[in-house]
Amino acid sequence: MSKVKLPRKSTAIDMTAMCDVAFLLLSFFILTTKFKPNEVAQINIPASTAQLPLPDKDILLIQVEKGGKVFIGVDDQNTRALWLAKMAEHYKFKVTATMQHNFVVLDSYGVTASQLPQFLALSPEELNKVKQQGISMEIKPPQPSEFMDAILFARQSNPKLRIAVKADKEASYEDVNEVIAQLQERKVNKFNLITSGRAANAESANKE
Amino acid sequence: MAEMSTPESGAKKGKKKARSKKSSTRVDLTAMVDLGFLLITFFMLATTFSKPKAMEVNKPAKDKEKTEDLPEIKQSKTYSIVMGKNDMLYCYTGASDDSSIKVDSTFFSRTGIRAMIKQRQMEVQQQWGNKDELFVMIKPLPDSKYRNMVDILDEMAITGVKRYAIIDDFNEIDKLVAAKSGNRLLSEKGMQAINAEIAKTGIK
Repeated sequence: MSKVKLPRKSTAIDMTAMCDVAFLLLSFFILTTKFKPNEVAQINIPASTAQLPLPDKDILLIQVEKGGKVFIGVDDQNTRALWLAKMAEHYKFKVTATMQHNFVVLDSYGVTASQLPQFLALSPEELNKVKQQGISMEIKPPQPSEFMDAILFARQSNPKLRIAVKADKEASYEDVNEVIAQLQERKVNKFNLITSGRAANAESANKE
Repeated sequence: MAEMSTPESGAKKGKKKARSKKSSTRVDLTAMVDLGFLLITFFMLATTFSKPKAMEVNKPAKDKEKTEDLPEIKQSKTYSIVMGKNDMLYCYTGASDDSSIKVDSTFFSRTGIRAMIKQRQMEVQQQWGNKDELFVMIKPLPDSKYRNMVDILDEMAITGVKRYAIIDDFNEIDKLVAAKSGNRLLSEKGMQAINAEIAKTGIK
């Protein structure tokens, strides 16, 4: 008797709710996503308890690689164009449309001023393959270093720039100190060190 | 895909026939869910989720012309931390009167440097009535890593030391510590620059 009464149940599940959730998450990720920039150097940043978020714009990023190579870049494309113009004027080279375009799309660069025109004249594919040797930090008195000049021109291009130093945790103190010392020569006494977050009460033993 | 036909008994055949006539308005959302999750996976992997944090550093302005009188700090309020290679730390309290200086070696950990800073804060608290009187001098040797600098600055923030400075000139004790622990003292780059300068000018 009960057999007859039992209603036939379908195993089809109502997917509507699941679909809703999936697309809700999807829209969240689409909106919050910020794609990883194309990095010139592999940099492992150290951890700290600093909680200050890095501002999104007007950043002059100085990257110090493990071996001490220095790369710099600004985030804004208009600033980059102005910056290149200033450098071209100072180092007396001519900027072609290709060079301008290459420089504007470049997140950061690390070649010496003498190599810069050649480097920028390359095609975008070749440009990515070039192993950049870092900006010259050498000070030939009385001339300032190319790094110092680059900082100066970048700040002239956009006076609102905030300076952030992103150095590899294994980089030698000496190299980072050189960067900081040269920044101070350019009257930059306030800057940010980029670190990854860590809980304040966490053990700060030798982290790898 | 997610739908499975339920086995039917022969007795219900007539009923089924009647059912098949009305077409359902329900759409199979399985494929759409699949697509949704595929895209979610993509965005999750492509996103940089942990936003980097910034540690604010304010260095004192270097003024070449104006060499103002630096405020004297009592030795008994100071604490020097020399950072060497292999994450080693050497710390000592500035000598008061004639008491000899004892250098301790330690490393970055809660029981290591943090405990020592806290202890020093307590000593200063007892002696001067305010632990914020403590002045920590951080002296990174050229062999130390950048990470050490970030860690020690972080340690200052954690222990709440109000006054500290990164100092690049070394006194006799620091030099001795550096020499004994196998650290270089003068930066190689600095030496190169000096040597180049000497060679150029031809001083003999």
